[in-house]
This record gives sequence, C-alpha cells and structure tokens, in this order.
Amino acid sequence: MGDNKPLQRTAVKTSQKHRILIAKPGLDGHDRGAKYVAHILRDAGFEVIYTGIRRTPEQIVDAAIQEDVQGIGLSLLSGAHNVLFQRVLELLRDQQAEDIVVFGGGTIPPSDIAKLKEIGVAEIFTPGTPAREIVETLHTLLDERAAVFA
Amino acid sequence: MAVSIEKLVKQIQEGGPLSCRAAARLMTILTDEPQRLVELLAGSQHWPQPSLVLGVTGAPGSGKSTLVDHLAIDYRLRYPDKKIGIIAVDPSSPFTGGAILGDRVRMMRHSTDPNIFIRSLASRGHLGGLTLGVRGIVRVMGLLGCDVVFIETVGVGQSEVEIAKSADTVLIVLAPGQGDSVQLLKAGLMEAGDLFVVNKGDRPEALQLRQQLLMTLRTASLATSDHHWGHQDPANQSSELPNVYVCSAAHHEGIEAITSELQRLTEHKSSEWQTKRQAHALAEIRQAVFEEVQRRVEGIIGSNGTGEANLRTILDGSKSLKCFVDDLLQRSNTTSQANIGNTEFSVTAEDNGYLVKQ
Repeated sequence: MGDNKPLQRTAVKTSQKHRILIAKPGLDGHDRGAKYVAHILRDAGFEVIYTGIRRTPEQIVDAAIQEDVQGIGLSLLSGAHNVLFQRVLELLRDQQAEDIVVFGGGTIPPSDIAKLKEIGVAEIFTPGTPAREIVETLHTLLDERAAVFA
Repeated sequence: MAVSIEKLVKQIQEGGPLSCRAAARLMTILTDEPQRLVELLAGSQHWPQPSLVLGVTGAPGSGKSTLVDHLAIDYRLRYPDKKIGIIAVDPSSPFTGGAILGDRVRMMRHSTDPNIFIRSLASRGHLGGLTLGVRGIVRVMGLLGCDVVFIETVGVGQSEVEIAKSADTVLIVLAPGQGDSVQLLKAGLMEAGDLFVVNKGDRPEALQLRQQLLMTLRTASLATSDHHWGHQDPANQSSELPNVYVCSAAHHEGIEAITSELQRLTEHKSSEWQTKRQAHALAEIRQAVFEEVQRRVEGIIGSNGTGEANLRTILDGSKSLKCFVDDLLQRSNTTSQANIGNTEFSVTAEDNGYLVKQ
C-alpha cells in the first residue's frame, strides 16, 4: 500500500483555501463518482462546491465565476464529453477566465483523453484512479496555476 | 503583493462583463483575509446598499436553501428588474478544514440568471453559524446592485445567533418533528427571530407546530410586558409580535405571503435598519482597531524573550502596570513594527520606572 501519510497537506502556503467546483454536465444521473471525488477533496482540505446532476455548461461556468473557484471538475458518463468539455472551455474563454483549471473524470475512452488535453482539459481521471493521485495532481496543477496567475 | 481592493471596487463600479469576476475575487479576499474588511469599509459610505438583508436560519434539513430558492423565484417574478444576492454558508470540517458546499444544488435554476448572484462560503471554524467576511460580502453585493440579500446560515442548533448581528431581520425556519414545545421555550435561537416560518407545511404536524409556536411567542411577549410592569420594553421599541407563516417551500406553497411580509417590513423599518447597519459597521471598525493595536504591541509583550522580559518588570515590582501601559502606548505610536522585536527595555533610576530604550 506504500506509505500511509494522510492525504492532506500539512502546510498550506497562503491563507488562501483551494476552492473547487464539482459538476456533472449533460444528461446522465450517475453522481456516485462526482460525490466520491467531492468527498476525497473535502478530506484533503479543499472547499468543494457541489452543483448536482444534469447541469448545462452555462450553469457550470456561471457558478464557477461567482464562486471564484480555482478549478472545475467535470464528471461525465454519458459519452458526450467531447462536446460538453469543449463548451465549458469556450465559455470560460469568453469570460476571460482561462486561469480556472478544468479537469474531468468518468468513462472516457483513452483515445479521447489526448484530444481533450489538447483543447485545454488539464487532466482526466478515469475510474480506478487512486484518491491520492487525484489530490496530488490537483495540488500540482493549482500550484502551477498560482505561479502563472499570481 | 496584495491585490488592491480599490482596483477591484473600481472594476465592479464600472460594470461590464468583468464586474462579476471582480466581485467574486473581492469576496475571496474578504473571506481569506477578513482583516482587510476595513479597507473596504473606508469610503463605502455612499455605495448603493441593499434595501433588505435577510438572515435565514434554522436546523439542518429544515429547508433553508429550498426556502431561499423559492423566495428568490417570487422576488424575481414581482420585481423583474431587481437584483438578488444569496450568501449560503455550510460547515467546514473541524478535522481536515475541508468543506462540501451544497446549498447551490437547490438553487441551480438561478445559475444563468444575470440578476442573481450566489456565493457559497465555508464556516472555517467559526462557530456562530456564519463565517468571517459575510458583512463585507453583503457590501460587495450592494455594490453589484443587489436590492435584496439573503444570508443562509449553516444548519444551527440552539445558540448560533450571530446572524442577528449581520442581517437587518432574521427569519427562522422550523420543520415539524424537531422536538416538543419545551424546545421552543429555550433561550437562544428562538429569541433571535423576527419572523417564523414553519416549512414542510404539507405534513400533518405542521399546524400543530404553528400553534405551539404562536403560544410560545405570545407567552414570551406577555412575560416581557409583565417584567416591565405592563409598559413597553425600553430596550426593544418594536414589540410587534413576530408573524408565523406556514409554507411548503418545495411545492412553492405559501411563499407569496412571506415575500409580502418581507416587503412590508422593508418599507416600515428601513430607517431602523439603517441605524443598525451603521452601528454594525462601527463595531466592525472598532474590532479592527483592537486587532491592529494587538498586532502592534505583540512584539513588546508577546510570548517571546523580549516580551517576557518586559512583562517581568511588572512582576518584580520595578514598574507599575499603569506606567508600563502608558509607555507602551507611546512606544507603539513611534516605533515602527519592524524594530519592535529587537528593541530592549530596561529600567533606570532617573526615569522613575518608565520604559526606556537602551
């Protein structure tokens, strides 16, 4: 099992808390993954804004702007990821909010992952990704973001 | 290094597509660094303010979010041009500091409405049912042009009544099945309510709860009047009995009556509320002044070597407390923060017990 250090980081560099929006775009209602990731992030000390199932990209981006989150996690199991993820990224660009890190998860075929990363999705966590990996990757992504947009 | 509050305020005032982002960023600053609220308050005297800041509180699961959602629907129907702000607080984990902020789930229908701004906050260890920075966020919402702001607290138990100090008026949501009539008699939450709503009115016990509630409120009012020999409580001029409403928020039933009452209160009490807000703003600034003073004298009397040596001068009797403080105030006035830490104090014969720098 490797080391069993707790997932949370002991020292947060600034007083700023990581705020993440977890959303389910599209029409599938399978929210177990989204809720599980929300739970993992909560336990790692993140503040998670959970928006529930069947949201439009417009609703998601509006919520992300008002909540001033640093990242958006999109969970999708319906197969519509190519369209919906792209739409979220477009809307963020329209709002000049490209600094918000977009990551995703769900049943996404490997052949689509490269494409999604190309259009600007920072990371895709497919089923079975260990909790620790999700937390560590997000910390890295958010630190990189902070370094660029400070 | 620090983001300029002034700059963000200007961006919000200019309006346009980026004002929303600026407002959201400003809210983040106010929750991450609540001590900067004073920067915001300075010069905010003439900003537009909401006409109603309503606190909504009650036990977990009593339906606060759903009620706020439906009050917002009704307000939007009545006043299509007015903006609404919603602040929803959920608890932070006392173990990890993390939080799940889920109030938005019940309000997502408003997500793309440009006239509604929703902000979720985590309590971050704050125990009064709110979180630091809420009042600043109300200010920012006013600046955005919100006419009504709803503040939803975390699900509270009996004594988290801080909302009464942040809102103009407080609505308490109760649901049937949360205890007998003795619960209603207890001190704390029930005293903080200006308006009571029995939610889940479709349940058979709802009317019974309403009855018990009315009786409790009447008893309370009688007891107060008795206490003052039949005269009005001088400390509480508005001895109007709080109204009790029954609604079923999830079915949008009974909401209109509540909105109408809120509207009536807004018209009748606006000057009273203005006075209250002024008092709150001054209290806020007083607190900030205290904190600044504390920060400045920290180097002189803090729990470091120098601080303890300085305090020992009182302990060993070489200086009176009064003299010590007199000099401390003078010193914090002239010494910049940077060199307070390595300033040494000692007592000499001729200064007659005053602290001097060697």
